[in-house]
Amino acid sequence: MKKPVARPTKIKPEPKTEQRQPRAYAPPTEAEPIKSFTEQPADLPLAAPTKKRRHWLRNTLIATAGVLVSLSLALATESLIRALFARYEWLGWVAFGAASLLVLALIVLAANEIRALSRLKKLDHLRDLAAKTIADDNPDQGRRLLAQLQALYASHPEMARPRKQLDETTAQMLDGADMVHAAERSLMAPIDARAKALTAAAARRVAVVTAISPRALIDVAYVAYESIKLARAIASLYGARPGVLGSWRMFGAILGHLAVTGGVALGDSVIQQMLGHGLAAKLSARLGEGLVNGLMTVRVGIAAMRVTRPLPFDALKQPAVMDFAGDLARLNAPKDEG
Amino acid sequence: MPQPPTKILDETGIALSNLADAATGMFTPTMRLGVTGLCRAGKTVFITSLIHNLITNANLPAFAPMADGRLIGTQLAEHPERGIPRFAYEQHLAALTGAQPHWPDSTSRISQIRLTLKFQSQQWPASMLGTSQMHLDIVDYPGEWLLDLPLLSLSFAEWSAQALARTHRETSKSEAKPFLAALNAVDPVANANDTDAEKLAKAFTQYLGESRKDGRALSTLPPGRFLMPGDMEGSPALTFAPLPTPSTTPRNNSLYAMLARRYEAYKDIIVRPFFRDHFARLDRQIVLVDTLRALNAGKEAVHDLETALSEVLSCFRTGATNPFTQLIAKKIDRIMFAATKADHVHHTSHDRLEAILKRLVANGARRAKFAGADTKAIAMAAIRATSESTLEEQGETLNTIIGTPQKGESLDGTNYDGKTEIALFPGDLPQKPESIFEPDTQAPNLNFMRFMPPQNLKTSAAGDPVLPYIRLDRAMDYLLGDRLK
Repeated sequence: MKKPVARPTKIKPEPKTEQRQPRAYAPPTEAEPIKSFTEQPADLPLAAPTKKRRHWLRNTLIATAGVLVSLSLALATESLIRALFARYEWLGWVAFGAASLLVLALIVLAANEIRALSRLKKLDHLRDLAAKTIADDNPDQGRRLLAQLQALYASHPEMARPRKQLDETTAQMLDGADMVHAAERSLMAPIDARAKALTAAAARRVAVVTAISPRALIDVAYVAYESIKLARAIASLYGARPGVLGSWRMFGAILGHLAVTGGVALGDSVIQQMLGHGLAAKLSARLGEGLVNGLMTVRVGIAAMRVTRPLPFDALKQPAVMDFAGDLARLNAPKDEG
Repeated sequence: MPQPPTKILDETGIALSNLADAATGMFTPTMRLGVTGLCRAGKTVFITSLIHNLITNANLPAFAPMADGRLIGTQLAEHPERGIPRFAYEQHLAALTGAQPHWPDSTSRISQIRLTLKFQSQQWPASMLGTSQMHLDIVDYPGEWLLDLPLLSLSFAEWSAQALARTHRETSKSEAKPFLAALNAVDPVANANDTDAEKLAKAFTQYLGESRKDGRALSTLPPGRFLMPGDMEGSPALTFAPLPTPSTTPRNNSLYAMLARRYEAYKDIIVRPFFRDHFARLDRQIVLVDTLRALNAGKEAVHDLETALSEVLSCFRTGATNPFTQLIAKKIDRIMFAATKADHVHHTSHDRLEAILKRLVANGARRAKFAGADTKAIAMAAIRATSESTLEEQGETLNTIIGTPQKGESLDGTNYDGKTEIALFPGDLPQKPESIFEPDTQAPNLNFMRFMPPQNLKTSAAGDPVLPYIRLDRAMDYLLGDRLK
């Protein structure tokens, strides 16, 4: 128990004579934040945890096969270069240069992929940290989160003003949850708006293509293409441009998300029914299908937002499929709006 | 047996007023915010800061309507009830932001104010109808009067027993001596005469004044009007004192019967109208508690404060509401408990302050929760008078606050003149809130000084002074935010 102390601010404080009384306390124990039961199911992590170990024999098989294939490739390349040197020396040099460039490119590519994956992991980590900060309202954790968010968006020039504004807003704050909410309002709101616009535009394109495409196969291919493009674009907006592997994992997470939460509320599915199979289908079956596919794309977009957004939807409302119904209805809207 | 605080006639009046409110508030609803706090809890400062921050569109990041940009603006409006003085917002603000900033004088009369908030709703169908409006009614009153509310459910005999028991306590013995002497000099069952009554009342008033002077006995000393009589000074309704219950039933013309009648008159003329007009129809409530001052004063004061809060809070109507019952019976559905003057401790101690506050208001909070209301506790400072720093002292780092103590504050023999700025380490708040109630533990060594209001305030872009605060925006969000959706 500390005694009260008062010192003039201008003068250097003279040393105190009294000693504090010794007191014994139980060691501090950190309590787990209690999560409410009504909370929505946690988002699946972007970078899924490593899958269950396969049988060791299988692992050995794959590993040894991989080693042998790599060795044979290396041997083939080596013997090719050697043979070329034997024939014409300059041809050998060309082949050697090409091989070195190949190796270099491979290394850079791998590094990029790893960086992209770690960026996605970072988003997961930030979202967890934010949820925890909102739950236990810890100001130090909040400051850490703010610093990480600032670092994440430091390379986004269009975020300069929101970042500055966030700094000003949070300077005097004492509560973790308030900091997270302020960050969500200043940083996430502009990105959310852009992600929504992208989603709306993609959904419109999908709807139009489905409505006019001559074959079902083309629809399917186009929906898949647009979905992947949309998810990647949204991830880049939130600060994690995914590589090939990253996209793969992210798409897995989005699909998982769609499967777990359905991605739609009850009202949304009713709208889907009405729009897709009811009204529009009465006018034209193709148009109805187009709308259904468009709404599907919207769901993908919303899931991508949830999965890649570094802060959970707390102060701001998560967009619902219904919010996009108006956009879809204007099929002929100018394309550059998105 | 506890009496109901209101009579049937009052209830009818309340129900009719609610109905009238519902009719007139169809398009512009009114929210009555009950600012509850004992004397010196910071009601006036809270109201001033709330109004100022709202009408200057100040930076309130945790107040969602403002942060989301939905709140268009706030204006002072004329209160429809024209018989009550207006809350002197401008004067209080001038006191706080003038050349010589000082805290507003303690409130001695009731006053009220109405704010009109204009906002853009985000919910269908209100969002389709353009901007929405809401009136916010706030009442300011002397905290002493609040202590009268529990009297509504006490008879004269019950109140006398309580009040007399208090005079016999160890800490108030010396102050109560003259009153007890006067009490011994009269015979309660003798024929009534006004001289005796006046003598007793005078001695009792003196005792009340003495016991609140040193700030030890915070509160639990009704009736509140005795110290702030206003126009009623000397009227029979204010001329009574507690009497021991006589063994035989007193005759109708005895002193006891007369004082009992005056006590009832006090309740009828003063307390019940006060309750009926200002507290029976609240929508939201904020309970301001000056926890630090009670901790400063010691265990007895903390106990007093707990009892007083528990009794006062039991008078309010809390519970879940729905649009239909709201028509005739208004209830408080959200209560915010705020430990005021949180700027007098370092922010790392706010968690402990909140824990102590929760312990202090546990009774009231439990009752409110049972009735279906929502409660929340925060450490708050409506105006932040200090900044924070750290101090190295004998090899350990102390979290200090920097501010100018008021004239007359002292620590370790140093008296402050109200001009020197100091860095204060006020002592550690107890980790376990329960320990402030346990009689055998040593009282924590604490010294929370009172600080002057912040000097050299910043001004906003529009030229208004910016009042710094701690968590005021959070309190506003909790109290108002959901009605501005």
